[in-house]
Amino acid sequence: MASPVAQFELKSYGPQIEVGGVDLSFTNSAAMMVVAIVGIVAFLTVSMSGRKLVPGRWQLMAELSYEFVANMVKENVGSEGRKYFPFIFSLFMFILFSNLFGMVPIPEIHYTPTSQIIVTFAMAFVVFIGVTLIALARHGLKFFTFFFPSGAPVYMAPLLIPIEVISYFVRPVSLSVRLFANMMAGHTMLKVFGGFVVALGVFGVAPLALIVALTAFEILVAVLQAYVFTILTCLYLHDAIHLH
Amino acid sequence: MASEGLGMAMRIGVELVAGVGVGAGIGYLLDRWLGTGPWLLILFFFLGAAGGMMNVYRAATGEGLQMGYRRSSTDNRPDDRAGGE
Repeated sequence: MASPVAQFELKSYGPQIEVGGVDLSFTNSAAMMVVAIVGIVAFLTVSMSGRKLVPGRWQLMAELSYEFVANMVKENVGSEGRKYFPFIFSLFMFILFSNLFGMVPIPEIHYTPTSQIIVTFAMAFVVFIGVTLIALARHGLKFFTFFFPSGAPVYMAPLLIPIEVISYFVRPVSLSVRLFANMMAGHTMLKVFGGFVVALGVFGVAPLALIVALTAFEILVAVLQAYVFTILTCLYLHDAIHLH
Repeated sequence: MASEGLGMAMRIGVELVAGVGVGAGIGYLLDRWLGTGPWLLILFFFLGAAGGMMNVYRAATGEGLQMGYRRSSTDNRPDDRAGGE
């Protein structure tokens, strides 16, 4: 029987490409990212090609996803956040589609890119660097007052500043670990219960019923984690722009 | 919104662990660089734990928002805070 973590194995296709000691060959993770991006582009362009005044089902779904993110940016970042909307929308759609396509058993290339820590960490780190640069560009050296809560007594500074600096650097870590851990744990759990179905014979009906429920739950987690990642990006952006 | 509450629950656990992890990581690297035994690891472990708790506190209350969470513009009025969820 396949191991429950065998699904996280990377398989590379085509020629081995190595740049500076880093393996850059095309893997199943990369293939699933391509699938996700093609899926997003197809979903948005095909469903919006009609542009009817009264939208059909597909057009409604595309408009809803646009409006959902647009409202999130407006509520959490404010009107200045509008110019960052394309980035946040791409981030949301990419994570959402990667998570959801990870639930589809596509033969040969099946993989969930967001269950790989380096993928989520790369996204979180781009957000972290971008937000820090925006804050520095908008506020200059005043940005560093961020690390000392206003109203705290000055003699607390040696204790408070390290804590604040660490809690700032925790952001990319918690942002990436949350998404990666949720996806990885969920998919492992599905495979473990799948193993029970086979092992228990007739009584495998019980774990099978559980898998049905768990699969629905995993789809909820897939959407929810995309939402959480995006809303936290919005909140960090809000902090960078407004700098209390 | 129910999903907002669930999203909140998903945030908090990781925030605590990540604080300790980052703190211990910084301490370990500084120790290796400066050769100061385990002392900076211990110090930064506790600072990281404090930072993690601070993040959780801010996420949960939405107060002292400096690095933290803000539910939405309407929820943030001072008169709302006393009777909050």
